Amino acid sequence: MQIDRKETLRYLGYRGQDIDSQTERLLDEVFTELERDSSPKSICRKYRCQATKDAVILKPLMDEIAWFYSVGSQSETNSQWEVILKSKNLAKNLRGCEQAVLLAATIGRAADFMIQKYSVTNLAKAAIVQAAGAAYIESYVDEIEDEVRTQAGRQGFYLRPRFSPGYGDFSIDYQKDFFDLLECRRIGVTLTEGNLMMPSKSVTAIIGLTSGKQESCWKRSCSQCEKTDCEFRKEESGE
Amino acid sequence: MNFLERLNTELLFFDGAMGTMLQKQGIQPGELPEIWNMTKEEVILQIHKSYLEAGCDILKSNTFGINPYKMKNCGYTCEALTAKGIQLARRAIAETGKEAFVALDIGSLGKLLEPLGDLPFEEACNAFVPVCIAGEQAGADLCLIETMNDTYEIKAAVLAAKEHTSLPVIVTMVFDENGKLLTGGDMEAAVALLEGLRVDAIGLNCGFGPDVMKKFLPKLREITSLPIVVNPNAGLPVVVNGQTSFLVKPEEFASVMKEIAKDGASILGGCCGTTPEHIRALTEACRGMRPLQVTEKNRSVVSSYTQAVVFDSHPKIIGERINPTGKSRFKQALRENDLEYIYKEALVQQEKGAHILDVNVGLPEINEAEMMEKVITGLQGITGLPLQIDTSDIAAMETAMRIYNGKPLINSVNGKQESMDAVFPLAAKYGGMIVCLTLDENGIPDTAQGRIEIAEKIIREAAKYGISKKDLLIDTLTMTISTGQENAGITLDALHYVRHTLGVHTTLGVSNVSFGLPQREKVNTAFFTIALSKGLSAGIINPNSAAMMDAYYACCALNGSDLQCSNYISYFSALPAQSAVSVQSAAQLTLFDAVVKGLAESAGKAAEQELKSKEPLAVIDEDLIPALDQVGQGFENKTIFLPQLLMSAEAAKAGFEAIKEHLKAKGTVSEAKGVIVIATVKGDIHDIGKNIVKVLLENYGFQVIDLGKDVAPERVVEAAREYQARLVGLSALMTTTVANMELTIRMLNQELPECKVMVGGAVLTQTYADMIGADFYSRDAMGSVRYANELFA
Repeated sequence: MQIDRKETLRYLGYRGQDIDSQTERLLDEVFTELERDSSPKSICRKYRCQATKDAVILKPLMDEIAWFYSVGSQSETNSQWEVILKSKNLAKNLRGCEQAVLLAATIGRAADFMIQKYSVTNLAKAAIVQAAGAAYIESYVDEIEDEVRTQAGRQGFYLRPRFSPGYGDFSIDYQKDFFDLLECRRIGVTLTEGNLMMPSKSVTAIIGLTSGKQESCWKRSCSQCEKTDCEFRKEESGE
Repeated sequence: MNFLERLNTELLFFDGAMGTMLQKQGIQPGELPEIWNMTKEEVILQIHKSYLEAGCDILKSNTFGINPYKMKNCGYTCEALTAKGIQLARRAIAETGKEAFVALDIGSLGKLLEPLGDLPFEEACNAFVPVCIAGEQAGADLCLIETMNDTYEIKAAVLAAKEHTSLPVIVTMVFDENGKLLTGGDMEAAVALLEGLRVDAIGLNCGFGPDVMKKFLPKLREITSLPIVVNPNAGLPVVVNGQTSFLVKPEEFASVMKEIAKDGASILGGCCGTTPEHIRALTEACRGMRPLQVTEKNRSVVSSYTQAVVFDSHPKIIGERINPTGKSRFKQALRENDLEYIYKEALVQQEKGAHILDVNVGLPEINEAEMMEKVITGLQGITGLPLQIDTSDIAAMETAMRIYNGKPLINSVNGKQESMDAVFPLAAKYGGMIVCLTLDENGIPDTAQGRIEIAEKIIREAAKYGISKKDLLIDTLTMTISTGQENAGITLDALHYVRHTLGVHTTLGVSNVSFGLPQREKVNTAFFTIALSKGLSAGIINPNSAAMMDAYYACCALNGSDLQCSNYISYFSALPAQSAVSVQSAAQLTLFDAVVKGLAESAGKAAEQELKSKEPLAVIDEDLIPALDQVGQGFENKTIFLPQLLMSAEAAKAGFEAIKEHLKAKGTVSEAKGVIVIATVKGDIHDIGKNIVKVLLENYGFQVIDLGKDVAPERVVEAAREYQARLVGLSALMTTTVANMELTIRMLNQELPECKVMVGGAVLTQTYADMIGADFYSRDAMGSVRYANELFA
């Protein structure tokens, strides 16, 4: 997978300035090293989903329960749990969805390691790694989302834009639930005391699946974000 | 028979998954399975019994997730949950009347250790201790440290188990499809560390089904001298890396596992998705089989968290530059706690081709153990090369060996009884290869025979600690030929004998040979070349010396250890291009231009040039500051962007470094404009923004006290007071950590009302900054420079 150069530049606050050959070389070196040393990993799991006015309730899918039945011969299972995610914004995002996919993804520790290393020897490079890592994880998650879209499409589902803890009123404290549901340790992602993910270039998100096409087409964009003075805000365009 | 007696004589079988069985029983996501030891003990008991009935020899206790972090506020202590977990397994054995062992199951803490994460190493060790103690007391037969993917955390867990119990220890890890741990560490590095720590068996669990694990087995068997454990998955209800995991049925599971047993695994069992049916099929399929003989591989190896370096016919380079001896700038860096200077030495040597880095930070006036700990921790965050711990201070040596994430090279032990009594127990405990100096109570023998005898004595003494020849690296001591021309011959004769007759690897500090002579590099290179031909396994040299590295690559090509001369060819094809560029650019640019263009190397050279005719202050005022101002303005007007600003900042830094050296040579020091304390606030572990601010403030002549990331409010106040800082800069990236920023500001206002606070970071805005009481909000790094300049004007 290739790191998106345009996105990297956007994260670096690029506004069409001349890029001299030296900067060009640093960008190339970072892309090569980061692509070589990163090992993107992800984990996804599908749930039954029900959105109320101010919360989303997740339950196991019937075919997952069946999956457990099929493990060995012990046939009784009581897999009837539910998890409630309280957030009006999330509930609005998932309104009408019958299913939801939870995902966690990371590009691994290489970016963090490189940032530490280059903070000592070459701060410009460290800043580029920071930006390239952000671009990398975003495109990786886009790729996973495309895969989810293809699979969901086969079953007649359409996707809502992905939504992560920390967006709007969806508290970052729900990272804990993502970690419980997905067992993120399997891809090496950990949480700090303050609920920050490490490696830092990691993403958790929930994607709603709906069978109604009309409700699905709003595209994820910066326009939904409240931080209107953000330096990295994408201009709305017609594409 | 106890566990270790049975381990090498028969195939043993672990049970299967606990988690899968509990999920069937309706455990909720986020519910702690170990609480069921207390609340639903019959369920746990029943699961253990069904595995015993299926024929397993070892039960994994239901204690995988017990640690102080996960069990915080759960209502039970780690000790109580662990004890109950072991007791339930014991009860299941008693009630079924089967013969089986109980493994104290220990899993990951789920936290990332420093320097990348926020958990200090010793805290990680301590977190494992209560479980280990309670587990042994409750009657566990062994410790199983499993589902591990970080060698550093493994080391913490193994030390806890070894220091607080006398139980055998097994470690199983999760490798990805490339055979790497999630930390990027490879199998060889992990094996080196674990063999060094003297665990009793190692292996693979989770991550994959048996078919993938089977592929890993030949490699693992080739590199380890320990019995191998394989506990694969049989399926998961999740999609990992785009792969849906299909359930492996018991018969299929068993038939692949039987192959794995034939390939050399000694203990087999299951992880996620496996059930008593899988274990029954497994034990039935393998009935009557015996394990393959475990053989000693005799590998001489050291490792870092990411890679292993093997001593073999291909000689290795140990970079000697991290050492204050005879280097005043280095001594100054140590005294001023300027670790960055040391880290740069490391990275330059790595770039020049060193395989291992020697680390010596001893100065009479500093606390060596403390400094060693800081430097080793820091180096582990920036380089993947194995380190050589170089100290005569035993406390510093132990500290370094303990926190080292790998199997280190230890420099050194010698033939004195006192030295061997101190160093060998440490090596036996923490693992490591040891440099052995051939001197003893009577000094350095002046014959090759004398040195060989000391080498033999050291080898014999090491054996008493179970340290075999493969873990020794004998140094037959280089003496200068200016005091006796036979010196080189003595060293080399002894070296040849040690390598070829005793069969032990060798090392030499090369450069001593030319002491007192002109053109030392010429003598050093020739001596190094001869030593390589006599069987030198690793030279401790300066990798920045082109002559030495030229000789090294040429020798390796000649002795056949550089296959198809590929290293030689790539070394020399990369070389001329590099030097041509730097010569050209350095010759042409003025200091002003070099800074504006962001060329650090040129800026350093141009500054040295300027200093020949100009006062340092004039160089700063007429060249450096105007250049920085121009760049800063360009950044604010958006004619250049961040990487360009930073390249200029680094170039200016190189200029300032040249001035610093210049002043130092004259015996004076530059005076700072003012002191600024900066930190990333508690809970926040992203610090690149803060680092950018730091370098810019330093460029403008401020002394910056950088407290790092995840810094508690108290520490900020303490540092501001200690350094009498008029300005504190705080960075926060997350909404959640802005609260800690506010707390820090409040404490500063209370304790040091005259101290100003500037803030910055991704989520901050002017409104936010006002709300939390900051004196200044800086939108970007240049803003902080402007504010500081105004404040200190």
